[in-house]
Amino acid sequence: MPKIVLEHVSKRFQKFTAVEDLNMVIEDREFIILLGPSGCGKTTTLRMIAGLETPTEGRITIGDTVVFDSEKQINLSPSKRDIGFLFQNYALWPHMTVHQNIAFGLENLKWPKPQIEARVKEMLQMLKIEEFDKRYPSELSGGQQQRVAIARTLAPRPKVLFMDEPLSNLDAKLRLEMRIELKRLHTDTDSTFVYVTHDQLEAMTLSSRICLIKNGILQQFDPPMETYSNPANLFVADFVGNPSMNFIPAKLVSADGAKATVEFFGRRFAFEAARPIGEIGAEAVVGVRPEFVRLEEGEGQAKIYGTLPAGMETTVKLDVDGFILTSVKFGNVDYKLNSDMNFSIEGDGIILFDKQTGKNVGRGRVTPL
Amino acid sequence: MAEKTISPVGNRFRTYFSKPANIITVVFLVILVLTVVLPLSTLLLGSFKINGNQEAVYVSTFDNPVEDGDFTFHHWVELLTSKEYHYALTAFWEPLYQSTLMALLACFVAVLFGGVVAWFITRSDLPFKKFLSTVFVFPYIMPSWSMAMFWENFFKNTSINAGKGMLEALTGICVPESMVYGLFPCAMALGLHYAPFAYILIGGILRNMDANLEEAATVLKASRFKILYRVTLPIVMPALVSTVLLVFSSSISSFTVPFFLNKSSIKGGNNFIAISIQMRSLLNNGMTKGQGYVLAIILMLFSIAILMANNKITGSRKSFTTVTGKSGQVSLVKLGKARKPLAVFLLILVAFFAIVPLLSFAAESLLEVPGDFSTLTLRYWFSAEPFEGSNKGDTVGILRSAFMWSALGRSLLLSLIVAGVAGTFGILIGYAVARKRGSRAASMVSNLAFLPYLIPSMSFGAVYLALSYTKGFTWLDGSFLILIMVGSIKFMPFASRTGTSAMLQLSGEIEEAAIVIGVPWIRRMTKILFPIQKASFISGYLLPFISCMRELSLFVLLVPSFKTLATSMLQEYSRTGLSQSSNAVNLLIIIVVLVIQFIVNKLTGASIDKGVGGN
Repeated sequence: MPKIVLEHVSKRFQKFTAVEDLNMVIEDREFIILLGPSGCGKTTTLRMIAGLETPTEGRITIGDTVVFDSEKQINLSPSKRDIGFLFQNYALWPHMTVHQNIAFGLENLKWPKPQIEARVKEMLQMLKIEEFDKRYPSELSGGQQQRVAIARTLAPRPKVLFMDEPLSNLDAKLRLEMRIELKRLHTDTDSTFVYVTHDQLEAMTLSSRICLIKNGILQQFDPPMETYSNPANLFVADFVGNPSMNFIPAKLVSADGAKATVEFFGRRFAFEAARPIGEIGAEAVVGVRPEFVRLEEGEGQAKIYGTLPAGMETTVKLDVDGFILTSVKFGNVDYKLNSDMNFSIEGDGIILFDKQTGKNVGRGRVTPL
Repeated sequence: MAEKTISPVGNRFRTYFSKPANIITVVFLVILVLTVVLPLSTLLLGSFKINGNQEAVYVSTFDNPVEDGDFTFHHWVELLTSKEYHYALTAFWEPLYQSTLMALLACFVAVLFGGVVAWFITRSDLPFKKFLSTVFVFPYIMPSWSMAMFWENFFKNTSINAGKGMLEALTGICVPESMVYGLFPCAMALGLHYAPFAYILIGGILRNMDANLEEAATVLKASRFKILYRVTLPIVMPALVSTVLLVFSSSISSFTVPFFLNKSSIKGGNNFIAISIQMRSLLNNGMTKGQGYVLAIILMLFSIAILMANNKITGSRKSFTTVTGKSGQVSLVKLGKARKPLAVFLLILVAFFAIVPLLSFAAESLLEVPGDFSTLTLRYWFSAEPFEGSNKGDTVGILRSAFMWSALGRSLLLSLIVAGVAGTFGILIGYAVARKRGSRAASMVSNLAFLPYLIPSMSFGAVYLALSYTKGFTWLDGSFLILIMVGSIKFMPFASRTGTSAMLQLSGEIEEAAIVIGVPWIRRMTKILFPIQKASFISGYLLPFISCMRELSLFVLLVPSFKTLATSMLQEYSRTGLSQSSNAVNLLIIIVVLVIQFIVNKLTGASIDKGVGGN
């Protein structure tokens, strides 16, 4: 079964490096999401695995086959890699009908005609596009084109499926629907999915593991919840989660084993981590997810800066001596602007970062001293 | 209350004309009707009436005398059906058949050569792309007969009593006459001349085409060949069809190429008569003007038929819609081991058709006896003394000739004015068409502006010649103004196509943003729209300029004397047998055009391949 292994893969264009020394193991039947801001090298990575782009260095293995090796001069064409690829703009052939688009890949595999017909019909039904069989892509809406593209990609039953921002051209509602469809497809098709997006919510909700990339360098490769609750560094912490994590500048007073004393908001706090704290300088950042900021309790003093009720939950912005602290409260609440508010920082998911390196040095709880 | 006094109709009128796009549409509708439709109807009418007394005498029979201006079907019937001495067959059907064959062969050569090079340059990792791309368009910049002259210079040989050509001089090989004169060489010369044009059109589509479309096929395990004929070809089909259309209609009506390559040797093995040559002889003969008009109309109908087929094939359902792709992610087809040999092969091929002609013109202009390098002389360039034995025309070295310099100056002036008029009209038409997309008036303007392309240059000239003989317009006869008029109208299609595609790429919001803050129309055009699409628009000026600089057949009937334009000087030298001088003039024209195109390209980034192909 296909397991995809990337070893020391780099891609350099004339002057800039798109991907730098990437190492990654994608297990069979995983749903991997390559996540990062635009221009970070995630699409390049995907295209390199698919064989549409040639890496400058490194080695890529799909299943038991080495598909690329810069040293041994191996470079298999995409057509020999047994993969499917879903393009961001769908890349449907404008001169072929929906039916012809879907059948094309099967014809290339020299399937017998009745079998092709049966498979196309099956795909049309599966994606609920039977009635568009004879239409041309220009006569379909974006969502319908998307379904045709998925049908075309899935028809030859690829063992590995690559998707490059397949939902980014859809409207918000359709995108939500298609997310569920894709997740179901993943289970139904029994394939490995590798998916590129810059939408962290998509990554959180769909993937079995997220591969977060910044400037061509791998930042973290973990399941979504681990990425969310134990981000490897400030970049990951900031990129994942909405509303984003609070980064409170702090001074490190002392650190010893799993315990430390930090100073922020003008007072001292004890930080207790589950494991010994990593190397840290005098300047620290305390990372607090909005859900760990509790309102109407504790000793913290703040003023209400603004509230954003969204129905199910309300984002409340607090002004703590000029620092804007974000908090989320379940349900619909409204506070008067500039009114006084107490708050506390609860929970054991508080992250301590070293400001200099940006690295996560410990995860635990803070208590005021 | 004052508004109430204006009638609803007047109000609608005012609203309509408050928009510049509407004014432009209406103005150009009028201009184009006057300059295109009117001459064309003169042509059509001319084919149904007696044109002049000579013709009246010729057509009159004892039972049925006719006079100048009478209505008649005679021209059509005579040319198409007369069995007397096989007249219809030899004067019409045979030339038509041979010219069609020639044009089809030319299309085939142009599309194949231009298309293949376009594919290699846009889609593969071929080295030296930039050089290839620059040099490949040379033959299109050269006057259309250059390829014909080169073909003759290269292949002519002593076995057919035509003097020693380069091939014979270098290798001693003498090719048979059918390789030197007649249908095949005409088709090859035209095909090679229009290959860069095909390259520009097809390359433009390939460059704009989303590479994902091909990648999607690769991933689905289609072979490279299958991708080409199932995906790439159908998508570039519209460009292919328009190339075929344009090359076909230009080739079948080409006058200059058959003029140069239609010579018959003493052995007289060549019986190729191009329909354009036939048309000129009919038009020049006072007795058969009407038949000439019939021929011109038939040639146009050919083009219009192809144009309609083109529109049908590239209809809306399957049309190629550009979906914004990731343009930066184009992966080039790896040629692997074939990369170097292919590059060398293409370099040699392109150099042969683009650079060797220039060398051949230089060589021919420097040799007293063609092919004999011991007779090297500079006198056809520099001699201030008249050549012995010549008694016609201007017979000093072309760079010492006052006539030549003033002709060149006049050619430049004419081309500049024509480019200015055609280019500006093109931008304005583009603006109106883009803003009023889908409206009937706009598409009429767009089609009318393209129509002159389909009218053979020679007959376009003939129509204006007829106009200048018409009462009330005689002041146009032999004037510089009439040259400007035909040039501007004939070369407007390039500019209007370029202008339209450039304007369509600009979203209306860009202009609306300026309208909202009250920027007047002139300023919007000059300060916002023009700068954004500068390169494209300037290409829209460059194309008419180059075309006009190297045009002969359009002007040949209208110039007051051969001293008027550089190209008419060239024709005169060629006609009087001073082939050294005509080669020298040809080289001079090409160099002037190349230098100007190079300067414009360096200064503004515009280039002719940006024009037609878009992007």
